[in-house]
Amino acid sequence: MLELKHDLRLAKTRDEKARMNFVSGLRAHVLNDMASGMRSVYDADVEPQFRREHKRVPKDGPEVHKAIKANDYFKFYSTLRVTAQDMVWQSVIPPLERNRPELKQKAAKLLGQGQGKGKSKARGTLKLKPGFEVPRYVSAIDVHLMAGNYDGEYEKDDLAAGSLYDNGLAVFSFGLMGQNLDDIGQSIAGFIRLKYPNLKPKKILDLGCTIGHNTGSWKDHFPEAEVHGVDVAAPCLRYAHARAEAQDREVHFQQMNAEKLDFPDASFDVVFSSMFLHEVPKKSIAKIMDEAYRVLKPGGLMLHMELPPNSQLSAYDAFYLDWDGAYNNEPFYKPFRDLRPEELCKKAGFDPKKYVQFVIPSVGWYGEKVWREAATRPPEVDSDKTGRLTDGILWYCFGAWK
Amino acid sequence: MSRQPMRRTIRGGRPYFFDDPAIDKVLNMVVVLASEVWTLRERLMAMEAIQVTRGGLKAGEIDRFEFKPEDEANLSAQRKEYIDSLFRVLAEQVDEARRSKPAPSAAPAKTKKKATRKKK
Repeated sequence: MLELKHDLRLAKTRDEKARMNFVSGLRAHVLNDMASGMRSVYDADVEPQFRREHKRVPKDGPEVHKAIKANDYFKFYSTLRVTAQDMVWQSVIPPLERNRPELKQKAAKLLGQGQGKGKSKARGTLKLKPGFEVPRYVSAIDVHLMAGNYDGEYEKDDLAAGSLYDNGLAVFSFGLMGQNLDDIGQSIAGFIRLKYPNLKPKKILDLGCTIGHNTGSWKDHFPEAEVHGVDVAAPCLRYAHARAEAQDREVHFQQMNAEKLDFPDASFDVVFSSMFLHEVPKKSIAKIMDEAYRVLKPGGLMLHMELPPNSQLSAYDAFYLDWDGAYNNEPFYKPFRDLRPEELCKKAGFDPKKYVQFVIPSVGWYGEKVWREAATRPPEVDSDKTGRLTDGILWYCFGAWK
Repeated sequence: MSRQPMRRTIRGGRPYFFDDPAIDKVLNMVVVLASEVWTLRERLMAMEAIQVTRGGLKAGEIDRFEFKPEDEANLSAQRKEYIDSLFRVLAEQVDEARRSKPAPSAAPAKTKKKATRKKK
């Protein structure tokens, strides 16, 4: 299991660490070994059976899903994946529950608010809105089977949900999201800096930033820029603020719905999001894209790191990624992946000629050399590594210049 | 807002994959149990490493260790008891079958019927 490096990490007993290690190992087994086993079973049994019955191969993800559903291997893969997902959070909650008072103290200390020797003043800022209305697509379900979701609060000024997500992600990612869970941010912000050396952003915005784990990377790669993160979930934002301070990064967090931002028109040079759009309904995605266009300066870049669209994947890979939509409490996942990113950008007012999309090798997994090479020769979208949490992961992103 | 314990159950439902959801649930229990077995192993390894550091154990000493014959006998008896208890649920059915199975010479039909019903 990956141990968090910053000061907000939870104190865990030997047994608690062992449970987390087990879950990380179980997830690696399911998502690497069993995932590749399932592909073999599909190729050897499921697809030939489909071809015998239909005289053709499955045309899309749903057809593959339908064909494979009755297969025992799929059932074991799926039920073990759900079990492991559940165990991720269950391995974190007991130590977190015990550490809640200490976590609040640590956060206060990092922000220079607590007693004793702490920092004199936070570098970044946090603005929460009393009475803020969390949209129902966040407040009504436990996405990723995470009990309490991003916004659940159990006491005044609570930040437990942020800690649950951070520590859970460390177990969940089995190392594939980087030592600070910022591989997406590091790989993409760094890639943009390499690819567009003339881009000198003054202001960068991260939408749906949760605990800001990928927001801070923009500050690392563009230290001159003012970096902002917005989200609807107060406990995540409180945690994000303290976490950024723990990592000594100046980031400004505000509670806002990305569908209706409080920022003025043309105020940002880069508008970014990661793993965000697939968590919101289609109607909201359109509003978020409109808002991204509005707050971008002319010549600015909008970039969304996301799961690759179904239209650019093989039927099997589309099915494989859509598993989450069907079974991981992700109701908006497949509808998002069925959209065409270039059309989303066009509808928001972006010039289709200025559409961009990239497949970026994980800098943590591949190392600097391969990752740097990708800036000149990016890999293809259609691969069983694109957007898939597996060894050799490639991050997909799309967007447009305004 | 007073301090509440964190919620541990999931809103939005848990998917099941086998025809009988009980299979998914039992598998979940097996994996949780496997996790506890692993946790014990890690703890034992930690204990062993601490002992080695302190000089109470030599590296690899446990792997070379042999029980004394009387300890081995005790362990063997405990192992048998442990395995029996693990499969007690299956033994019940066998016990009942043996109780109800009449000697070939005398077979009162009544007992047989009763046993079948009970098995369910």
